[in-house]
Amino acid sequence: MGTRILTVEDDERIRTSVRLALEDEGWTVEEAESGEDALNAFTREAADVVLIDIMLPGIDGFDVCRAIRRASDVPIVMVTARADTHDVVAGLEAGADDYLTKPFAPKELSARIRALLRRARTVEPGSPQMTFGDLEIIPDEGVVRLGGDEVHLTKTEFRLLVELATNPGRVLSREVLLERVWGYGYFGDGRLVDVHIRRLRTKIEPDPANPRHVLTVRGLGYKLQS
Amino acid sequence: MIRRLWGRLGLRARITGLYALGGLLLSLTIALSTLTLARQNLTEDREERAFSIAVRNAQRVENGLGAETEIEDVGVLLDNLTITEGSFPLLQVGDATRALDQAFDADAVPSSLRELVEAGNAGRMRIRIDDRPLIVTGIPIPDTDAAYYEAAATDDVEAVLNTLGIIVLGVGAAATLLSAALGSWASRRALTPLAEVRLAAESLAAGELDTRLDPPADADLASLTASFNGMARSLEDRIERDARFASEVSHELRSPLMTLNASVEVLNNNRDSMTERNQTALDLLTDDVTRFTALVEDLLEISRYDVGTASLHAEPIDLVEFVRQSVRHSPYDVVVDVGERHHLVVAGDKRRLAQVVANLVDNAAKYGAGEIRVVVEQEHDSAIIAVEDEGPGVAEAERAVIFDRFSRGSAGGRRGQGTGSGLGLALVAEHVGLHGGATWVEDRPDGIEGARFTVRIPIGDIPDDEEWA
Repeated sequence: MGTRILTVEDDERIRTSVRLALEDEGWTVEEAESGEDALNAFTREAADVVLIDIMLPGIDGFDVCRAIRRASDVPIVMVTARADTHDVVAGLEAGADDYLTKPFAPKELSARIRALLRRARTVEPGSPQMTFGDLEIIPDEGVVRLGGDEVHLTKTEFRLLVELATNPGRVLSREVLLERVWGYGYFGDGRLVDVHIRRLRTKIEPDPANPRHVLTVRGLGYKLQS
Repeated sequence: MIRRLWGRLGLRARITGLYALGGLLLSLTIALSTLTLARQNLTEDREERAFSIAVRNAQRVENGLGAETEIEDVGVLLDNLTITEGSFPLLQVGDATRALDQAFDADAVPSSLRELVEAGNAGRMRIRIDDRPLIVTGIPIPDTDAAYYEAAATDDVEAVLNTLGIIVLGVGAAATLLSAALGSWASRRALTPLAEVRLAAESLAAGELDTRLDPPADADLASLTASFNGMARSLEDRIERDARFASEVSHELRSPLMTLNASVEVLNNNRDSMTERNQTALDLLTDDVTRFTALVEDLLEISRYDVGTASLHAEPIDLVEFVRQSVRHSPYDVVVDVGERHHLVVAGDKRRLAQVVANLVDNAAKYGAGEIRVVVEQEHDSAIIAVEDEGPGVAEAERAVIFDRFSRGSAGGRRGQGTGSGLGLALVAEHVGLHGGATWVEDRPDGIEGARFTVRIPIGDIPDDEEWA
């Protein structure tokens, strides 16, 4: 069975046309017209990527995102109305891995999905295990342990951590992280990095407000240390 | 004529004028009545005094005159009289006269007075000799067929009256000026609320739509304030309604555009299986859907400024790197000139500044010619991004309006054929304005023919919180 994509969109015409475009990429597309629908479909059979429009009747996109995120680390792309609102940050904080603003070209969407799918595959085999104090990263198995306990990270959070871990003590700028983790260039949205770093800290830092591992280097970027 | 001139004067000038006129009339009335009364009282008083002195002198003369006294002998008599300064006695005995002073001799006695005296009556009369005011008193001395005349100069009274006149005139002039000043002050006070209305109207016109007048302390002005505020409110409502309408229309257009974009892409995926005719039709469709999408995106972007929801997401941006990255994927050949500079960090909104550079480069490529250069410079506390081309430049008359919405300029048909949304430069100006900067177009300063579109943004406070890295 190929790659399955679940699209949650209440406008039937958009849903259909996007399905056709995504099917042309060779993916299987499942449609949901409401939040409830989406959650049912996802419970029935998990997807490889979920595309969620924030503006949904009933359960809104943020809630759908949170509900799916609780159950799975599946890559999620949010569709927002505008890039310069709090919607983007709220969507990322609800668990989305990336976002697009309407109207977007389906080519752009396919590119995002491909980047997410690449990320979902584990890192190249043979990568050595890395240790930063009480933090252990085993790239081959996609496992992170904090003080011996396994920490559950999404694929994007994991990629972000591995990028920082393979350059220990070195500062990586937001632009570099955007390019290596998301596949964006210089003009990617830095908020993607910031929100994911914040989420990562809540999972691997004992006190996320005073991080010990993932540090901000003002004006330059982020770095990982033990 | 006067009416027209009067009407042309300002309200304040007219009120001041009316006050001055009132003051002038009032002080003139007071001055005239004061002078008339003073003249009457002083003159009468003076005449009475002159008359009583003359009567006393006449008495003495009468006592000294004998029946046989000849005119030659009266000199002693006259010398012994009480003669105040400015008094001129004249004695007539029979037909002969004797004066003490040449200034007043028999010829000077008015004939009407002489007739009166010769008829046996005492009388007095005002005359002028050599422009000197005199009061002449004539008293008959019938026993000796003589008459005594005495002229008394009254120029002291005139002097007092003149001085008084000058004082009254001065006071009147002062009162007039004071009235004018009072009028000016009163009119300014009365017009102060109007000045506030003027300021409020100017602020409204400048786009401060929430401008309102404070409720006045004066009940007379309450209705003016109320109607002004009412007008401002309905204006604001109306403009906001229009802005919201544009914003909502653009929002509504996004859904069909999504469908169009996706469907066109699906068709393009199968382009090879189409006939040539269908392919041509599809290309037309694709081009216009792309253009339409760009237009709606620009409309959405610009309507955020109209609705007032545009907010700056400032982060530190190194313009040197930023501009290099901006032109890297540009479809046009662009030269970047940053001088010797390695870094120039400003607090900017990356997404918006990227659009600024892209739109300016796009504009240079479409309407300019030759090499496109993007220059980064620092000027005091500001950063300059300038996009230069080697085209015909922008005419002076167009420079002010070129940043208006849908202003494609008039430089021949070429500009009219632009494929842009017509909002590109307007968006540049709005984005730069949001950064607190300025946008303008000028001739290239290096002497090469061409336009230079310049954007100046303040370097600003680089945010240094934990939020960015």
